[in-house]
Parts: sequence; structure tokens; C-alpha cells
Amino acid sequence: MDRPPPRLPVFLNLAAIRFPIGAIASIAHRVAGVLLFIALPIVALLLDASLRSEAGFAAVRDLLSSPFRVVTAALLSWALVHHVLAGVRHLLMDVGVGSELARARTSARLVLVAAPALALLLLVWGLT
Amino acid sequence: MKLSIYRYDPETGDPPRMQAYDVQPEAGDKKLLDLLMRLRVQDDSLSFRRSCREGVCGSDAMNINGRNGLACLTALDGLKEPIVLRPLPGFPVIRDLIVDMTQFFAHYHSIQPWLINDQPLPERERLQSPTERERLDGLYECILCACCSAFCPSYWWNPDKFIGPSGLLQAYRFIADSRDTATAERLDFLDDVYRLYRCRTIMNCTEVCPKGLSPSHAIERIRLALLRRSS
Amino acid sequence: MRLFDGQRAWVVQRISALLLLVLIVFGVLALPFASPLDFSGWRAFAGGVLGGPLIALLFGALCAHAWVGMRDIVLDYIQPRGLRLAVLSLIAVVLLGVLVRVLLSLATVGLAA
Repeated sequence: MDRPPPRLPVFLNLAAIRFPIGAIASIAHRVAGVLLFIALPIVALLLDASLRSEAGFAAVRDLLSSPFRVVTAALLSWALVHHVLAGVRHLLMDVGVGSELARARTSARLVLVAAPALALLLLVWGLT
Repeated sequence: MKLSIYRYDPETGDPPRMQAYDVQPEAGDKKLLDLLMRLRVQDDSLSFRRSCREGVCGSDAMNINGRNGLACLTALDGLKEPIVLRPLPGFPVIRDLIVDMTQFFAHYHSIQPWLINDQPLPERERLQSPTERERLDGLYECILCACCSAFCPSYWWNPDKFIGPSGLLQAYRFIADSRDTATAERLDFLDDVYRLYRCRTIMNCTEVCPKGLSPSHAIERIRLALLRRSS
Repeated sequence: MRLFDGQRAWVVQRISALLLLVLIVFGVLALPFASPLDFSGWRAFAGGVLGGPLIALLFGALCAHAWVGMRDIVLDYIQPRGLRLAVLSLIAVVLLGVLVRVLLSLATVGLAA
């Protein structure tokens, strides 16, 4: 493929670009995915500990024992809920449901708002 | 009206800078392009492409207040001041608002944007039913202005390998054409992690298309066609 | 198999997503019926004929889904070949490690049961 002559400047200052709502939902989907990837090995280790011994099981059950852990759990709850909701949105759009621009905008906004709300619910349920 | 415009002069080699302008629109100035033409009288070093001034040639695409659009179709009414004008994002800048479209057109050529038909030529034209013709609506109208591809993050990251929304819309225009017999070859070419599958359906392309087309929808149809073929 | 496949990776991502969705929905629906868990109950579930395969399936789908997603991120943002290969290898090692760890844990409780 032809390459442009070398050393021409390129404007790509992301802060100067006005991103539509779909792009924001999408980058959040990506960030959430990375967070969940980072959490995955930890979850595997927790699963192992919970099955290994009585004490391990108790430790996993009482996981949310410090403020730091609660904040981490809140973040991961958001990541999970957002990733699932945004994922469902994409699966539907794949088969043409809501892939028209106005509807896609609405569903993107919906996902962005619903995810933190549901995550909070999830966290409260986890704390009780 | 106040403007802030991206300036780059390859002859001096100085890094690009933003330059402030103030220009008075006159009666009858409705579109951003009208204002730019007035500006050129004030400063004839300012460079941008324009031709038809009515959204058909696709040459005055630029980044207007953070979103890509055609200057000739962008109404002055409702534009926030200062109007910030930059060249299309992710494209090499030749001068001021003029970008190098070489790679963009190379992608367009790569999808073989012409009818391929191995059947013997009919005595008269190849006919289409009204329904077959309707399938091309929303596809053939593309003017190759590059607003969409230059607003697509996937195209920014892999401009040499991802065909981009514009090229993929054009690809689907020929896949959908009842007179074209190369559908299988076209789909084979597109079934690639870079050429087609960099798209994440964020729909930035559809958001900015000045012709109101939906490249994201065309991409969705290509993926479904590939799925149908392999199942 | 090509490492950077086009359609196949996309299909794997979608199918694993659907599988995860089903598991999550059923998991949430089953919650009200799950008896308050204690250690022995949890072990019996994870070592059982239903729980063991379900948990294995869950983590299998998670790892497949994570591989395609993380691979896409690397293909977008990391262009230098060497660095790209290194990061992709690291991701593969992490995911394989997760899979092996989970299967070993399940096998241990399965054998004990």
C-alpha cells in the first residue's frame, strides 16, 4: 500500500475531538473488559481458596472487609454490569436490532446510565 | 465571527499551529464554506479544498468543532464560536486543511469498486427489478469525502490495514448489486482480521456522514453475509 | 490455524458472549433457590456432576472471550511487532494459567467427593 511522504504532521488530538455517545459507550466497554481481564486470575485464585479449606471459604465469604476492597468491588461490579449490558446491545445490533442511529444513541445512553445504578444494587446486595 | 484554524506550511517546516481569525459574514452567507471563501480574501495563504460547494464533490471535508463534516453543508447558524477548524483526523496533512487521501483511495480501489460479471454480455443492458435496485439505496450515494473513515478510531490505529467505513460501504454496494457475480470473491477478500473485523460498531461513521448514509449498517450486512455463507 | 483469524475470532467472541449471558442469567435466577452456602455445600456443588462442568464451562467461555477481546485491543493500540508478540504471549499465559488453576481446583474437589 502506498505510504504518504515521510514526516507530514497528523492531527489526532483526541481531546480536541467531540466523540458521539456510541464511542463513549464503546470505550467504556473496552475499559471494563480490561478490568475484568485483570480480575480474572484473582477470581480463579479465590475460587481455589474457597474450595480448599473451611478457613479459605470464610475468607472469601467475608471478602468485602476493608474500604479498599469495597471500592475495588464497586469498580468491578460496574465493569461487569456495563460489559454485559453493552455486550447485549452489540449482540442485538449484530442482527440488526437497534442498529439504526437514533436507536443506537438511545441504547448507548441507557447502558451508560443503567450500569452504575445496577452495579450499586449489586454491591449493596453483596454487602448484606 | 471568530475562527481558530489549523495552519501548517510544509515549506517552512514549522510545526502546525492554530491561528485566530475574525471575519464578518455578509448577507447570503449561510454555510461555513461561504465564510471560508471570505477568509481567503483576507488571507490568501489559507489553504483548503473545495469545488462544487453543494455536498456532491466531497472535497471540503474537515474537522469542524471536533466533528468531521463538509464545510459547504455545515450551517453557520448554531456553530459555537470560535469555530475550530482542523484537517481530517488521522490523515497526513499536506498544508493547512488539505490532507493526503492516497491511502484512503488505495483502500477504495482494493475493494474493486466496479461491477464484475462473468456472464456473456446481453444484447441490451443488464436489467434489475425495482426491488433489486432498491437494495443499492443508501450505498451508491457515497461521495468519498472521508468524513467517516477519518472519524473512525479503528481506522486511526490501523489506517494501512483496515479498509475503513467508506471502503466497506462501497464494498457492500457491489456485494448487494444483483448484476455483480463476484460476491464470493468479494467476501473472501473481506474475511480478514484487519480489512473488515477491526470495526467495533461504535457508529462514529454513521454519526458524521454528511449524506446521511450508514456505513455501520453496511458492515453489519457484510458480517451477516459472511456468517450465512459459512454456516 | 491462523493466529489472527477474521470471522472465526468474531464468531468465538459472539458465541462465548451468548454462553456467558445464559450462564449469568441462569445464575441470577437460581440465586433465590440456592440454600445459604456453607463450606461443605459449596464443595459438594463444585465437585458434583452439575456444578463442576458448569464452573469449567464458565471459565472456558470467559477465557475464550477474554482472548479475542484482549487480542483486539493489542491489534489496535500496539503496533511494534516485538512488543505486540510479547503482550499477546503474556495474555495467553495468564488465560491458560487461569484455566489450568480452575480445572485443577475442580478436579481436586471432584476426586474428594
